[in-house]
Amino acid sequence: MLLSKNEGKELLLMGNQAIARGAIEAGVNVAAGYPGTPSSEIIENLASVAGKANLYVEWSVNEKVSLEVAAAASFAGLRSLCVMKQNGVNVASDFLLHLVLSGTRGGMVLIPCDDPGAISSVNEGESRYFARIMEIPLLEPGDFQEAKDMTKWAFELSEELGNIVMLRSVTRLSHASGNVKLGNYEPVQGKANFRFDGNLLDPKTGPVITAPVPMRHNQQQGKLKKAIELFETSPFNRYEGPEKPELLIITSSACYLYSREAVKALGAEGRTGILKLGTTWPLPPELLKKHLAAAKKILVVEEVLPFLEENIKILAMENIDSLGKISFHGKNDGSIPSVNEMNPDHVIKAVSSILAIPYDSMPEDYEKKGMILSFTKSPNRELTFCPGCPHRASYWSINRALTMDGRNGFVCGDIGCYTMAILPAGFSTIKTAHSMGSGTGIASGFGKLKSFGMEQPVVSVCGDSTFYHAAMPALVNAVHNGSDMLLVILDNSGTAMTGFQPHPGIPSDATGNELPAVDIEGICRSIGAKTYTSDPFDIAGTEKQLLELIEDNSGARVLILKQPCALSPEKKKEKRYTVSVDSDLCRGEECGCNRLCTRVFRCPGLVWNAEKGKAMIDEIICAGCGVCADICPAGAIKRSEVKP
Amino acid sequence: MQVKGSKEVKASVIDSGLCTGCGACVSLCPYFVSHRGRTVMLFSCSRDQGRCHAHCPRSEVNLDKLSSKFFGETYTGSPFGSYLEIQATGAGEKADLKNFQTAGTVSALIKFALAKGYIDSAVLTGNDSGYGVPLIVEKPADVEKTAGSKYSVSPTVKGVNEAINSGLKKIGAVGTPCQVTAIAKMRFNPIEDENFRDPIALSIGLFCTWALRASDFTALLRSKGDPSVIKKLDIPPPPASVMSVETGSRSYDIPLEEIRTLIPEACTYCHDMTAEFADISVGVFEGKKRENITIIRTDRGRKIFREAVSEGYITAREIQDSETEPLADAALNKKRKGLARLADAGLINSESGDSVIKVDNSVLEKILTGGV
Repeated sequence: MLLSKNEGKELLLMGNQAIARGAIEAGVNVAAGYPGTPSSEIIENLASVAGKANLYVEWSVNEKVSLEVAAAASFAGLRSLCVMKQNGVNVASDFLLHLVLSGTRGGMVLIPCDDPGAISSVNEGESRYFARIMEIPLLEPGDFQEAKDMTKWAFELSEELGNIVMLRSVTRLSHASGNVKLGNYEPVQGKANFRFDGNLLDPKTGPVITAPVPMRHNQQQGKLKKAIELFETSPFNRYEGPEKPELLIITSSACYLYSREAVKALGAEGRTGILKLGTTWPLPPELLKKHLAAAKKILVVEEVLPFLEENIKILAMENIDSLGKISFHGKNDGSIPSVNEMNPDHVIKAVSSILAIPYDSMPEDYEKKGMILSFTKSPNRELTFCPGCPHRASYWSINRALTMDGRNGFVCGDIGCYTMAILPAGFSTIKTAHSMGSGTGIASGFGKLKSFGMEQPVVSVCGDSTFYHAAMPALVNAVHNGSDMLLVILDNSGTAMTGFQPHPGIPSDATGNELPAVDIEGICRSIGAKTYTSDPFDIAGTEKQLLELIEDNSGARVLILKQPCALSPEKKKEKRYTVSVDSDLCRGEECGCNRLCTRVFRCPGLVWNAEKGKAMIDEIICAGCGVCADICPAGAIKRSEVKP
Repeated sequence: MQVKGSKEVKASVIDSGLCTGCGACVSLCPYFVSHRGRTVMLFSCSRDQGRCHAHCPRSEVNLDKLSSKFFGETYTGSPFGSYLEIQATGAGEKADLKNFQTAGTVSALIKFALAKGYIDSAVLTGNDSGYGVPLIVEKPADVEKTAGSKYSVSPTVKGVNEAINSGLKKIGAVGTPCQVTAIAKMRFNPIEDENFRDPIALSIGLFCTWALRASDFTALLRSKGDPSVIKKLDIPPPPASVMSVETGSRSYDIPLEEIRTLIPEACTYCHDMTAEFADISVGVFEGKKRENITIIRTDRGRKIFREAVSEGYITAREIQDSETEPLADAALNKKRKGLARLADAGLINSESGDSVIKVDNSVLEKILTGGV
C-alpha cells in the first residue's frame, strides 16, 4: 500500500501513514526517530517497506541522536526524515539550534507529532514555537491528503532553502484516518557522498559548520525570507467563505476541520470565512493582510498556546494604518481555551458568542443525566498494568521493601508504562515524574542531601529504553558524585509503551535485522555502580535483594528487574502457568486478607466474584505469570506449569 | 474493649511510638510484617475489626478484666502482680542443658513440657543474622538452640500466630512482658470467634527492664564484630554498668550508657517487669550466678513446675522475702514510671481517645503515689 504505483488511487490512510507515503513519494532514503505517541507509526510504516523502497530506517537511542543520524544523510546529499513526539524536540533542540545554522543539503524534514490534551503524554508541549526560535519554516497539514502532499513538498522546500523544514502533526491527524489520493512513486537509488573539500564558507561543498556564526545566521534568515515568498502563493493556504465576512476564522491543522464543522452547525457560512493556513511560520504577510482587510472581527482557532494569534497580531499591528481597527478573538480574550484539545464545541461556543447566534447545545439536564449514567452504569475501568505485567510485580516488591525499610523512602519515576505507578495500579509508589531519564537525575540530587539532614532512602526507576535514552548520563553523574541512591531498571525487553519498538538492548533493529545488543548490566558495572539482576516474578527474592540494596547506603547501586513485557511478541503466545483459585481455600471476606488479590494487587486477570464471595481467575485475559499465587496468604491461588 | 482494625493499630500504636514490635499482629494477615524488629504495615486494609487490634498489648489492656479472667481477682498493683508462689530455681540434671543464660530454668521447663506432652510445640526466640526471630520448636533437643537473652526487640508472638496457623494446638510460648500480655489477650478470644479454642498450653514470661531497637543494636554489635557469632549477651549486676558480649573467640564489654540510647520509645511506657500475665515468670536473681527467680502464677503453671521439680528437670528452693526485695523495688519502680508516662500522655482510662491501659483509678493512684 505504501509503495503503490497506482497514481491517483484513493486509499483510506491513517495520518501517520499518509505522512510516510508522502516521504516515500518524495524519495526519502533515511528515516530516524525515537518512539513516542502519537508519532511512532511513521517510522514503523517506513520500516515495514525499508527493504523494498531502499530505505534506511532506524529507531535511534534518543531524539537528539535521531536528528543527528538524519542530518548525516542530508549532509551526504540524501533526503532524510526525522520523527518524534512533541517533547522529543526539546531533547533534539541543542543539535537543532546548530543544524539550522549550518544548513542542510539533501531535503531534510523534522516531523514532531504534538499531543494536545496530553492523551499519551505527561506534558502538553508545543513544538511550533521551536520553528520560530530556531528560525525554520513550519508546515501544518489540515487533513490527510495534505499530510501526504505537504510531507512531499517539505522535502522540496528544504532543498530549495538549504535548511531543515518542520512539519507538525497532532494526535487527531496522526491517529485518525481519511481518504488520500496517491501521487507518483518512483523508487530512488540514492547516492551518498559527503563533500567537504569546497570553500569553508560554501554551504554546498565546504565543511558543515556553524561558523562564522553571524554570517551563517544572516544566511539562515535569508532562507526564511525566501520561504515567505514561497508561502504567499502556497496552495496549502486556502480561504473559503464570503468575500467580506463578518467574522474571519484563521486556523490551521486539525482545527481547520473543527472550524468548518462549527460554522456549518451554526449555519453561519454566509457570515463567516475560514482562512486555513498550511504554512504557519513564517506567516505570509501579503496573504494575511488581504484577508485581515476584509473582516473586522478575527477569531484564531488553534490548539494549546496562541502561536498563530500572537504572530497575526504582530502583523496586524505593523499594518495598523492600512487595516484599521480589528477586534481579535482567541486564546487571549478567553474565546478559545489555551489548554487541552480543541473540538467543534469550543469553536461553536466562540463563533455563536461573537456573532450572537443563539445555539442550543445539549440541554443541561440531559447532559447531567448522561454524566450520571456514564458514572453509575458503565464499568469502572481505571488505568492499570496489563495482566501479567512485570511492573506490577516489581512495584509490589519495591513498595513493600521501602515500607519495611521504614525510613520513608520514595521512588523517583520516569517515562514509560511504569509511570502509572503514580496510581494505585503501582501502589502509588512513584512520587516524582517528569521527563525521560529525569527520575535518575533527580534521585542523584536527592542522594546528595544527607548533609542537610535527609535520611530517606532514594530510589529511581527507569525502563530499559529510557535507560539508554537519558538515564545513563544521570547514573554516571550519581556514581561519579557519590550520590546515595538505588536505580531500579525495569527491563521488559522493549519500548513497550509505544508498541514494542526495539532499542539498543534488543538484538535487532527497526527493520528486523540482527544486531549486537548493548548489555545494560555491563554498562552499569563499567560505570562503577554495584549492579545486580533479579526476576521481578520471584517476589520473595526480589524483595530481599531490594531490602539489602535500599539499606546499602554506599553510593549509587543498580538493580535490574528483568522480565519481558506480557505483550512482547515472544511471550504473548504462551502462558507459563495455568492459574486457578481453589474455592475451598479462598475464604473471601472471611479471610483476614481483606481481598488482597483483587483489592490491592489488582491484576485485571483476578476477578472478585461478589455473588460467591470469592476470588476467581479470568482465564481469557490471565497471562499466566503466576505471581498472584505467591501473593495469596491462604495459598488458594494455584498455578501449574504449562507443559510445552 | 472495643475491637478496632488495622488503621487504628497503625495510627494509635505504630505511628505513635507505642509499638513494642512483639509480633502479635504479624502473620495473621498479609498486611503486618516484622522487619528488623519493627512492625510494619504494608498497603492498606479496610476491615474495621481485626485480631491485630484485639491482641495488641498497646491497644486497651484492661488490667482488671485480664486479671480477673486469669487469676480470679482484680488487678492489685502489687510489684509482682498475682502469683501463687516464688522460688529460687535452676535447671536440674535431668534437663541435661549445656547452654543457658544464668540458671537454665526456662529451657528446662520447656524441655520438660515438650517431653511430657504438656505442649506440642514451643515458640522461642532465635537469632537470624543478629536479629531476634521467632522459632517454633517441637523436639526437646532443639530447645537449647535458642537459649540465652537476646535483648533486642523480637516479634516472638508472630511465631505463636504461625504455630496456630500450622495447626499446633498446645503451644508453649516464652516471651517478654509485652509478648506475654498479647498472648494473654489472645487466649481470651477478644473477637468472640465461635470456633475458638485456647491454643496456649503454657506461657512463660521473662523479666524485662527494656529491650533494644533491633536494627540499631545489631548495627552496634556489627560495628564490633559479626553479631551472628555471639554466644552470649549479659548485663552483670551493678556496679559493672556494662553489657558483656561473648563470642566463641573473645569477649568484650559495651558501656550500658551506650546501650541505653538504643531503648525504643515504646519501652518507656511499659509498667510490667515480671510478665504478670504468664503462667510462670522467670528472670535474673541478682547476685546469684546459678539461680533464677521464678514466679508461679497459675494452677496449670504450678502443676507443670512441680512435676518438673519432682522429675529432676528443675531444682528449686523456697525464697526469702528479703531475697526478692530488690526485684520488688525495681518492679514497682518500673510500674510507677511506665504508668506515669502513660497517664501523662492521656493513655490510661481515656474517655475520648484510645487507652493503652484500663485500671481501677484507686489502684492507679496508689501505684503512682508510693506503692501497694
